[in-house]
Amino acid sequence: MIRAKAGGLEIAFSGRAFTDAYAELRERLDASPDFYRGSSATVVLGEVPSSEDLAQIASTLNEAGIEWDGAYGLDGGVAPLPKREPRRDIVLSDNARSLVADFEGARKDLAGRRQRGERRIAPPTLVAVTARAAPEPEPASAVLYHRGTLRGGQSLANVGHIVVVGDVNPGAELVAGGDIVVFGALRGVAHAGAQGDRSARVYALVLEPTQLRIATTIAAGAERAGAPVPEEAFLAESGDRIAIAPAGQPPHLKSTAEQL
Amino acid sequence: MTARRIVVTSGKGGVGKTTTTANLGAALALRGKRVVLVDADIGLRNLDLVLGVEKRIVFDLVEVVEGRCQLRQALVRDKRFGESLAILPAAQTREKTAVTELQFADVVNNLAAMCDYVLIDSPAGIEHGFRNAIAGAAEAIVVCTPEVSAIRDADRVIGKLQERGLPMRLIVNRVRPEMVRTGEMMSVEDVCDILSAELLGIVPDDPEVIDTTNRGVPLVLDPAQRLGAIYTKIARRLEGEIIPFTQLGTGGFFGRLFEALRAG
Amino acid sequence: METQRVVNEPIESPQIEIHAPAAPVDTQKKAKTRGRAIVVTSGKGGVGKTTTTANLGVALAARGARVVLIDADVGLRNLDLVLGLESRVRFHVLDVLEGRTTLADALVRDKRVPSLYLLAAAQNREKDDVATDAMLALVEQLRGDFDYVLIDSPAGIEMGFKNAIAGADEAIVVCTPEVAAVRDVDRVVGLLGNRINAQLVVNRIRPALVRKGKMLSVQDVNAILRLPLLGVLGDAPDVIVSTNRGEPVALDEASATGAAYRAIAARIAGEDVAAPQASEPEGFLDKLGSFFGGRR
Repeated sequence: MIRAKAGGLEIAFSGRAFTDAYAELRERLDASPDFYRGSSATVVLGEVPSSEDLAQIASTLNEAGIEWDGAYGLDGGVAPLPKREPRRDIVLSDNARSLVADFEGARKDLAGRRQRGERRIAPPTLVAVTARAAPEPEPASAVLYHRGTLRGGQSLANVGHIVVVGDVNPGAELVAGGDIVVFGALRGVAHAGAQGDRSARVYALVLEPTQLRIATTIAAGAERAGAPVPEEAFLAESGDRIAIAPAGQPPHLKSTAEQL
Repeated sequence: MTARRIVVTSGKGGVGKTTTTANLGAALALRGKRVVLVDADIGLRNLDLVLGVEKRIVFDLVEVVEGRCQLRQALVRDKRFGESLAILPAAQTREKTAVTELQFADVVNNLAAMCDYVLIDSPAGIEHGFRNAIAGAAEAIVVCTPEVSAIRDADRVIGKLQERGLPMRLIVNRVRPEMVRTGEMMSVEDVCDILSAELLGIVPDDPEVIDTTNRGVPLVLDPAQRLGAIYTKIARRLEGEIIPFTQLGTGGFFGRLFEALRAG
Repeated sequence: METQRVVNEPIESPQIEIHAPAAPVDTQKKAKTRGRAIVVTSGKGGVGKTTTTANLGVALAARGARVVLIDADVGLRNLDLVLGLESRVRFHVLDVLEGRTTLADALVRDKRVPSLYLLAAAQNREKDDVATDAMLALVEQLRGDFDYVLIDSPAGIEMGFKNAIAGADEAIVVCTPEVAAVRDVDRVVGLLGNRINAQLVVNRIRPALVRKGKMLSVQDVNAILRLPLLGVLGDAPDVIVSTNRGEPVALDEASATGAAYRAIAARIAGEDVAAPQASEPEGFLDKLGSFFGGRR
C-alpha cells in the first residue's frame, strides 16, 4: 500500500473502500511511527473522497511527518496540486481589475463605477494565502498577470487566476487554481480550477486550445468553423463535459452552448 | 514475452525519422502487432503531432520517470488502431537532461513487457537526447536521404551505434528517381555502398506527405497514398519476410563525397 | 577617467559628484567596426539552416562585406561540405579554442568570394567539449575583424544550440511550412529570449500546394510565430544539387533561389528590398507533379 518511488512515496487508496484503506494506513503508520518521517508522498485515489476524508488523510500524514505532494485518481479523479509559485503583488489597470472581479459583470461594474463618479478603482487587497496540504480549494484572490506571448514549451502556474495579454501558442501551458483569461489566442493547454474548483472558467479572444482542463475534466480541442469570437469555456450542467459559449452571454442562454 | 526495441535515428535532422516511426508503427499495428511508440525528443516533441493525438496528451515520459504518474496513464492510444497502437509522448516544457539514460532504458523495458514492438523516435543530433534514445534499444533503423550531408551524419551515427553493438538497417528516404536518372541525386546503391549498411526500405519523395503529417493521418490509413504500401512492405521485412526492392532509378553519382568521407 | 564636480547654489544643497568617464578613442573606433553576430537556427532539423547560412554568407560577401561563417554543429559538421570547402579544412573550432592553432590558420578563405571565411566544426568531437564562455569569446573576437559573423546552429535545443546562440545578438530563424517545424521554431524563439532579435525566413514554400490547401501558407506560419519576415524561399531542386556539389546557389546568376538569397542579404544589410516571393512555373510541369523551378 505504501510504495517507494523515484519522487517519494506512493500511497494507494484505489481499488477499495476508503475506510478499509484508511484503516490500513493508520495501522502501518502506528506500527512504525517514525519510519516515514521526512519523506513526501502522493496519494493515488480511486473515487474522489469527501473533504472530511481528505482532511483525515492530511492530518494522519501530518502526524507521521509525511509531506503531502499531491493526489491522483486512476479513474480520472483528483488532479495533482500545481507547483507553488511565489506570490506577486500586481498592480492592475482598472479594466483588468474589473475582469478579475467578475468577467460577466465587467462592463456593468465599470459602468456603475463611472456613474458613481469613481475615478479610480481601489486596488484589491491581495490576501497572502499560504498553500496548505489541505484539499479545500483556496479563495483565489491573487492573479498572475502576464503581458506577452507564451511560446511553445513555456508555462505559467498560479494558485489564483491567470491573465495573459498576448497569445498562448501550441506547446505552452497555463495551470491555474482559479480562472484563466487570455486576451489573445489560446492555442496551447489551459487548466483552470486545477485544485478542484469546478466553477472555474477559461476565457479567450480566440479559443482554439490544444486541450482544455477544468478541475478534473479534460477535453480535446475541437475544430472551430467560421471567424473566431471571444468565448468562454466552463463545465456543463452535467458536470462531465466542458461547454463553450460566446463570452459574456447571460446565463439563461447557456443552453445553446456548444458541447465538446 | 518481450518486445523488440528499435530506435529510429539518423544524425541529420529533418530526414524523416518521426514520419518513419509513426508510419512504420502504424503499418505494424495494422498487421496485428501491439506497438508502442516512444518520443525521445523532450522539449521538441513531434511524434504526437504526426499521429494526430496531440490533443489527448495528459501525462508524458518525464512525469513517468519522476513517478508522478503510472506508465499506463501516460500512454495515449490511437483509437483508429484499436488496442494495437499507443504512444508515450515526450514532455514539451522540459529539457532532455530531465531524463538519464538509465531511466529511459528502464521505461523502455517496462513498455517491452506489454507489447510486441517498441519504436523509439530519436531526436536529431548525437547529444544527450540521442544517447537516451539508443539506451533503451536493442536494434536500430537509420533513416537517410540521398544527400551528401545526410550521409555524412548517418555515417557518424552508425559509428556510434556500432560502438554500442546495436545491429542496424537502413531506410533511404525521399528518393527522387528522375533526379537519380539525370545524375543529380545519388542512387540508393550509392548510399548503401558508402554506409556499408543493409537496406530495409526505399521511400520515394512525395510532397503530399507533409500534408498527411500536418493533418496527423498515418499513410497506411489513407488509401489514396501509395506510400502506405511501401511502409507495409518495410513492416513485413522487419518481421523477417524477404521482399524484393522496387528498382527506383539507375546509375550512381557520388563525386566528391567519397573523398570527403575519407578525409572527414 | 575625469571627474566633474558640480556645486549647486545655494550652498546649503548637498554637493553632487558626477563621474563621467570619457570613452577612450580606441573603443569608440571598435564600436563602429564591431561586426554583427547572427545565429541561424530553427529547432527542427533539415529545414535549411546550413544552406541558408552558406548562401547568405556568400551573398553578403559578394556585396563586399567581410564575412566569417562558424559551423557550430560539432560532430556533425556540414557547412564545409555545402560550401565545397571540405578538402581545404585543416583545423577546426576546437583546435583554436584548445590552443593548437591560431585563428588565422584555421580560417578557410573561399577563393570564389575573397571576403568570405569559414571556421569549420570538429567532426570527431562532442558538443559538450565546447564551453559556452569560450564560444562567446571567440565570437567577440571575430566581431572585431569581420562585418558579419554568421553562426550555423545545430538542430535541437541542447548544448550545441546553447553554444551557438551564446555570442549572437541577432537570429535568423528558418522554418518550413509544416506544423511540426512551426512548433519547434516557436519553442526556439521562446528560448532566444529578449536579448536576441529574431527574424523569419520561410523555406520550401510550394505555392501550388498552398493554393490547393495542402500546405501551410507564409501567413499561417507567421500567425503563430509573429516574427518580422526576412524572406521566403521556394523548394527548388537546384538547391539539393548545389549542396551536393558544394556550389552555393547564391553564386549562380541564373538561379531564382540564388536571387532570393541575394535579396535577403540586401535586406540584412539594411536595404529596402521588396520581399522575395517564391515563384513556380505552371502548366504541364505542374501536372507531372514535380517542380523544376529555379532556372530563369
